[in-house]
Amino acid sequence: MSFWFWRGLRKGMHTTRYPKASETAAGVTPGRPVTTQFASVQQAALAAQVCPVGAITAQDGSAHVDLDFCIHCQRCRFGNSPPMDWQSDYEWTTLPHGLRRYEPLPRAYRRSMHIIVVDAGDCGACLHEVKQLNNPFYNMHRLGMFFTATPRTADVLLVVGPVTENMRVPLLKTYEAMPNPKKVLAVGACAVSGGIFGQSFVSAGGVSSVLPVDLEIPGDPAPPLAILHGLLVVTGRKAPVGYQSSLERSA
Amino acid sequence: MNAWIGGTLVLFFAVCGCGLILSAILRGRYPMRVLVGFGAICSVLMMIAAGIALIDGRTFTATLWHLDGLGSLSIQIDHLSAIFLFTAGLIYLPASAFVKNLVESRYQGKYPLCRYGVMYFALMASVVLILTAGDAPLFLISWECMSILCYLLVNYERRGDGRAAYIMLTMSEAGFLAVVVAFAIAARMAPDWSFVSLSAAAAHLSNGAIWAVFALGFFGFGVKAGLVPVNFWLPRCYTATPPVFIPVLAGVTLNLGFYGILRLNADIAVPRGIGPGLLALFVGSVTALVGILYATTENDLKTMLAHSSIENAGIIVAGIGASLVFRASGYSLAAAIALTAALYHIINHSVYKTLLFQGAGEIEVATGTRDMDSLGGLAKLLPALSVVFLVGCLSIAAIPPFNGFVSEWLTLQSLLRSASLMSPAVKILFAICGAALALTAALAVTCFVKVYAMSFLGIRRGEWKLRSSKGIKRPHFALVYLASACFLLGILPTYVIPVLNRAVEPLAGASATASLVPPFFTATSRNQQLPTSFLHDFHNLGAQAGSSVLPGRGMVVLVRGGQQNPVIFAMSTFYGFLALAAFLLITWIVAARATRKRKVARNELWAGGIPRLLPEMSYTATGFSNPVRVVFQAIFRPDIVEDTRKTVAVHFRTAILRRREEEHPVDRLFFHPIGNATGWFATLLARMHHGRLNAYVAYSLIFLLVILALFRVI
Repeated sequence: MSFWFWRGLRKGMHTTRYPKASETAAGVTPGRPVTTQFASVQQAALAAQVCPVGAITAQDGSAHVDLDFCIHCQRCRFGNSPPMDWQSDYEWTTLPHGLRRYEPLPRAYRRSMHIIVVDAGDCGACLHEVKQLNNPFYNMHRLGMFFTATPRTADVLLVVGPVTENMRVPLLKTYEAMPNPKKVLAVGACAVSGGIFGQSFVSAGGVSSVLPVDLEIPGDPAPPLAILHGLLVVTGRKAPVGYQSSLERSA
Repeated sequence: MNAWIGGTLVLFFAVCGCGLILSAILRGRYPMRVLVGFGAICSVLMMIAAGIALIDGRTFTATLWHLDGLGSLSIQIDHLSAIFLFTAGLIYLPASAFVKNLVESRYQGKYPLCRYGVMYFALMASVVLILTAGDAPLFLISWECMSILCYLLVNYERRGDGRAAYIMLTMSEAGFLAVVVAFAIAARMAPDWSFVSLSAAAAHLSNGAIWAVFALGFFGFGVKAGLVPVNFWLPRCYTATPPVFIPVLAGVTLNLGFYGILRLNADIAVPRGIGPGLLALFVGSVTALVGILYATTENDLKTMLAHSSIENAGIIVAGIGASLVFRASGYSLAAAIALTAALYHIINHSVYKTLLFQGAGEIEVATGTRDMDSLGGLAKLLPALSVVFLVGCLSIAAIPPFNGFVSEWLTLQSLLRSASLMSPAVKILFAICGAALALTAALAVTCFVKVYAMSFLGIRRGEWKLRSSKGIKRPHFALVYLASACFLLGILPTYVIPVLNRAVEPLAGASATASLVPPFFTATSRNQQLPTSFLHDFHNLGAQAGSSVLPGRGMVVLVRGGQQNPVIFAMSTFYGFLALAAFLLITWIVAARATRKRKVARNELWAGGIPRLLPEMSYTATGFSNPVRVVFQAIFRPDIVEDTRKTVAVHFRTAILRRREEEHPVDRLFFHPIGNATGWFATLLARMHHGRLNAYVAYSLIFLLVILALFRVI
């Protein structure tokens, strides 16, 4: 006979305490390079050269990182000397370029939000991370977020992949089929900027060229906690990175 | 009162004869008008005559003329005849009125309607004669006329090879012969052939003779009623029948089979043991199950409805069988309930099956196809037809508050009364048959969900175009009439049961009214028709609600038990309907208020984001019924499954076309073996015919010698 109930009780809770406290367990995030001040201009140029996707730009001895393109290959960290600064956080959600104001979903959605995921030509990595949100560790149900299969009941459109030509129309149809208010989340470097695929005759090069994107979650792939942060931003329980809410600004 | 019935009947035959003659004489558009007008008048006269006979307590009798040696041809309308006559009139009215709708769009002068009119009125007269016959000769002569006229009418369009109608005629004739023999056995002790004296003489018959009468009559009438194993003509014939005639075939002549069974086996030669009843119950249950299985997996609308007719015939005969068993065991009340259920189901089946067949006829005329795999989306194209067809589907699927529910529920409840029977073996058989009927009821829901959903909902799957614009704005009168009959028979069973009970009482030996429909409204604490505590219990439940407004005995059908459980079962479709309507109204009001500020956004149909939803991608009738086919594989046993692969485009997309041929178990187990045996015997005989004259002379000589030897011995 199975003692799963008893074993479960004995094992206790392992779910992350993320929105209340930060998660520090090993491996929850690959981390990311951040802007680094080098000793010389050459060192900065070298760091920019080592990046295979051209996410690093050198400027006067400091190297800037565009996280929209970074694939976390860690060449600038281990294949470069001196290494770039590396930050192990996961709250990466930003507003798209050129968007200054942000309105989260109304309060009613705070504890009940339904998400439809569209795989717009994803390699599988981001989709895999999205799937993790349903597992006992990340368990997004505790935050009142649910995946749904039909856009008719969905509030958030979560897009992964650079939007291939074959998925462009289905993606548009999904967006059109959703009721208002609706938010679009681009998850992963590919969805944000086209990533390593870029823009070509088969790839739209990011969701923003097809749909109005509300929030971008960079990372290749974006770790589950980063996606969770993005979803919390949609509900208004967290703020996007670098965004000063009107309240804070006025204060 | 007798004079009134006689007058109505004379008037009926006069109108019928006029219609017949006028149909033969007139040309152009007139035969159709005669058909509609005179047909409607005839059916109303039928209902009037039957209604007077039902209200009047006595049996109407009239002698037509005297036949030497056979007694006299006489007419007799008792309550059983009256109920069947009323049902026939109920169906003939919409069947006559609907002719116009189909003829205009389907025939367009291609087929002369005068010939049809002549046969139609002749069939109507013979049906009335069958139902009102007071003796066996008149009954049998009319029956024979009816068989031949049915054959001619089924073959009226002369499409195809006419085999289906021919099979029907052959089977009818075989059944007729059996019935003649059955009557001959029953009449052995009788002074003449009238039903009254046959019934009186049956008491002197031996048990074996009664069994023989039952077996022959059950087989003979079972052919018409469509019972396993003599129903293989039915789906074939119904499929080949023109839509103009099929309501009569399904709603009127099918009932003649039940009338025959009831007349011969429940009225004249009543079985003494429980054996015949058990046989009828078993055959009925098997028929119901086989019928609904094939109805569920069939994709042709008409063939599907034909199989469903078989299913309903099974339910009715199971009810009759249960009644015979109860009666033979001495449980008159249970027998009365079962027979009431069977009669109720006969009426209900006629009404909704006519509705569905007429709806299917209109679909066929409008779209040119009957294949459910290629229909679809008709609810938008023919909205008015879709509503009445939905009523028919709900009724036949036994969904309250429509009529199918009442009779199927009563049939199942009466089978549960077997708890009072003594023998465990009989109880087990009742339980098995009850389970089969319950399964049938469940499959019927599946079947008619499929019918409605696949024909009316979704998108158009075939290449057809809408040909006729009828049924877009408002449904035909006949369809509305039948749909409202479905509804009224469903919510007012307490008014129908006492009427049926008049026919049931002499057959079952007890009245079901007092038990099934207790007089809630008319009983007060003063007149004490019901036990006070019983009345009190139901008073609190609201059974007496509306007693000052509604006439009659109440709105609750229930069976009363003894002291320990005062109510064995109870049901009220009327109050159920009121509650349902109230709930729907409240829900609608609440929803409308709660969402009154919301804006409704309309968008394209969500189909998973694919560029265009193709008809091939939508759910098909075959796909819907496939689980049933898989589960009941053992019964269907497909003979041939053939896959053909076809490459649609180079490099990709291979289409697999699967063709499967199923043989109906009745065909497999009865029809084909009989055919094969006949063929084998003919081949054996053909061996003698090799053309040598000497051999033939030798055969003659041998035959002569054998005859001589035989006579010598005697």
